[in-house]
Amino acid sequence: MKQDNDNKKIKWLCSKCGGPLQEGPVKAEYLGGNFEIELLECPVCKNVLITEELAAGQMLEVEKSLEDK
Amino acid sequence: MDLEKLLSVQEKCINDNPPACNTECPIHIDIKGLILEIRKGNFEEAYRILKKRMPFTNIIGLICNHPCEAYCVTNVEGKAISIHELEKAVVIYGGNAKIKTLPIPKNYKKIAVIGGGISGITCASDLNQKGYSVDIFEKENSIGGSLLKVSEEILEKKQLQEEIIKLEALGIEINLNYEVTTESLEAILEEYDAVFLGTGIWKQKFNINEVTMQTEIEKVFVGGSIVNEQESDIQSVYTGRLAAVSIDRFVQKKSLTALRGKEGAYKSILHIDVDNEKISPRVEPQNTTFTKEEAINEALRCVECECHKCVKACVHLQKEKLDPKAYIRTINQNERIILGDHSANKTINSCTECGLCGAVCPVSINMAEIINETRISMVSKDKMPISAHDFALKDMEFTNSSYFELVKHEPGKNNSNYVFYPGCQLSASYPEYVAKVYDYLMEKLDGGVGLYLGCCGAPAKWAGKEEQFNSSIEKINVNLEKLGNPVVITACSTCFNNFGENIKDIKIKSLWEIFDENGIPSDAKLGNGKVLAIHDACTTRKEKIIHESIRNIAKRLDYKIEEPEFTRETTKCCGYGGLVYFANKEFSKEVTENRIQESENDYLAYCAMCRDLFVLKGKRTYHILDLIYGNAEISDITVPTLSERRANRFKLKKKMLKNLWGEDMEIKDEYEDLKIIIDDKIKEKMEDELILEIDIKKVIGYAEKTKNSFFDPESEHILAWRRLVNVTFWVEYKKDKDTFIIINAYSHRMEVTGV
Repeated sequence: MKQDNDNKKIKWLCSKCGGPLQEGPVKAEYLGGNFEIELLECPVCKNVLITEELAAGQMLEVEKSLEDK
Repeated sequence: MDLEKLLSVQEKCINDNPPACNTECPIHIDIKGLILEIRKGNFEEAYRILKKRMPFTNIIGLICNHPCEAYCVTNVEGKAISIHELEKAVVIYGGNAKIKTLPIPKNYKKIAVIGGGISGITCASDLNQKGYSVDIFEKENSIGGSLLKVSEEILEKKQLQEEIIKLEALGIEINLNYEVTTESLEAILEEYDAVFLGTGIWKQKFNINEVTMQTEIEKVFVGGSIVNEQESDIQSVYTGRLAAVSIDRFVQKKSLTALRGKEGAYKSILHIDVDNEKISPRVEPQNTTFTKEEAINEALRCVECECHKCVKACVHLQKEKLDPKAYIRTINQNERIILGDHSANKTINSCTECGLCGAVCPVSINMAEIINETRISMVSKDKMPISAHDFALKDMEFTNSSYFELVKHEPGKNNSNYVFYPGCQLSASYPEYVAKVYDYLMEKLDGGVGLYLGCCGAPAKWAGKEEQFNSSIEKINVNLEKLGNPVVITACSTCFNNFGENIKDIKIKSLWEIFDENGIPSDAKLGNGKVLAIHDACTTRKEKIIHESIRNIAKRLDYKIEEPEFTRETTKCCGYGGLVYFANKEFSKEVTENRIQESENDYLAYCAMCRDLFVLKGKRTYHILDLIYGNAEISDITVPTLSERRANRFKLKKKMLKNLWGEDMEIKDEYEDLKIIIDDKIKEKMEDELILEIDIKKVIGYAEKTKNSFFDPESEHILAWRRLVNVTFWVEYKKDKDTFIIINAYSHRMEVTGV
């Protein structure tokens, strides 16, 4: 699973510190399945952004396939 | 799920049984298969099918007296498929088909066939095929018996000769001009392992076992017109074959009688309904026999008998391309899989559990019961996909919480002869009608009418959450006991069903029956003869009284009722049943579409969900309470969103408590008062993705407090998230003073656990 952030200008800033977001490895879990995904995060506040494209796309697919395991 | 039980249901399905043309054929030719090949113009393949069961195909195929045609389901006004003409066409156009034969090992047992008529040569040929050494004894100078008397127009002598030559080529010895008498039979019995008598007449009378064709002389078997003087040619083939089977078993010292139920003609157990089929007249051959084209056209008239009444009626079975047998196989595989995907989960969660299949099935196989048990089994093994029913179950939890649940005696009374149970969906769609109905009931019925707001547990039942359903029913039972076990008056047929089936000794009546008995409020508007297509709720399938009450109410209000093709006990689901609306929304919409295309007229429903789903798909539909209490034009009736449904229930309770019992109710949700603006497009998206307004408020309220969000300086949009129970909701919004304008909303179930 990967969030496609290439060639897109990242418009979001962290509301807390006002700093820019960076891509970094993030741990995610669903129904006992653990994943490491490259996601946008605030390097200072550690808040992670999940885009709709990912949530409704690949992430949903992975969720569904884990539910059917 | 219990495999034994699954298999026993599977075995009940009659669809695989052969149609009448096959069962009524004494030698069970696969006529349907043959006709399907003719349709494709594949006469050689059709010939192979014919030859599989018919000995001397090139002869019998031309002279068969075709008892099958009389039993063909299209045999109305002489329109039966011309099976015999087709059979002839197959012999003519497919007779050159190459047929592979395997060499048969000889068993060195000797059989004497006395009489070379149809039964004799059939018996000889069948036994030769099993490896026996067969000798035919014929008193005339040619074999063929009654075949020799068939006119040249039907069967040329040349054709007969060709077949006789084939017999000899197979190694059957033919002794012509050899008459066997009672006396000379003795010597033959000495020499041979068994004897077949097919001489037409025989001096000695035998006692014949009709199942085995064996006589009291255990080595002697009979066939042909010795058995029955009136025997037809095809019947002679049959008795010759029957005797051949017995002789083989006799010589091999096996049981002569075991498993012989389906030899010879019998009645097909398929129930074929051709009332709705347009059956065209027979194709008549221009000459004595069909041309290929004529044969193909005649074959196209075949209705291809199969049962599949369930598949023909059910959109789900059609969509999944499953019949009960295949479905049960699929469930079984899905249940047993250990490593790998449970690929049938979505299928199993796409059945509306409406029970139509069971209602139309001649042997009452109800997939709804199997699906429900399967879902229970999936839940018990922790294999039920959470997302399928999560929203509905949370909604049920809300409905059975203090936000909506209410159990009261009638204001000012301490007992209840009755209790009104409007159900969760009517209260969500029509809170104002619930209040009016309650007033009506209090006015009309004596002895106190209590009010019970809650959910019957249907979502838990549909989701396979057996424990949750049972505890919900138990709670209702306890509450009813506290009220003094009053007569429960339900407005919702699903509640009616669930209570009736699960609460022992419950006294229950539908609201519609009460209206029918006690009269309709006098200020109800009249329909002036307007025609409404009635849609019975699928949960009323067996409730004839409800069907009648609804029709009576509508007629009394001067509406005319149109009964759609699927109505009353064979009604169809609206698309909500079995929680398919949540588990497979796309398919749920197809179910709705399928139902609403049954009539051009406006619909009349009496379940709030049926009505709402129809209206959402653009079908003008009244709820029966719209006829009784409504003032709005049918085209103006709208459907509340999921958020509004919850709010309506909550407000109904609050209003009833205040107006009737003078009680105030103060429950507040976190950030409930936040002002948000959502345009219709986003609202629609939220409906599809099951996102509630309250979820959005909780995300925004929390983000505004914690600053846990992202910010786009250019558009001034804020993107915030919050995990609520097991779902993370994301909201993109813009602030406008104290109001929040929603730009987008989405969600996911996967949880971020660390950076």
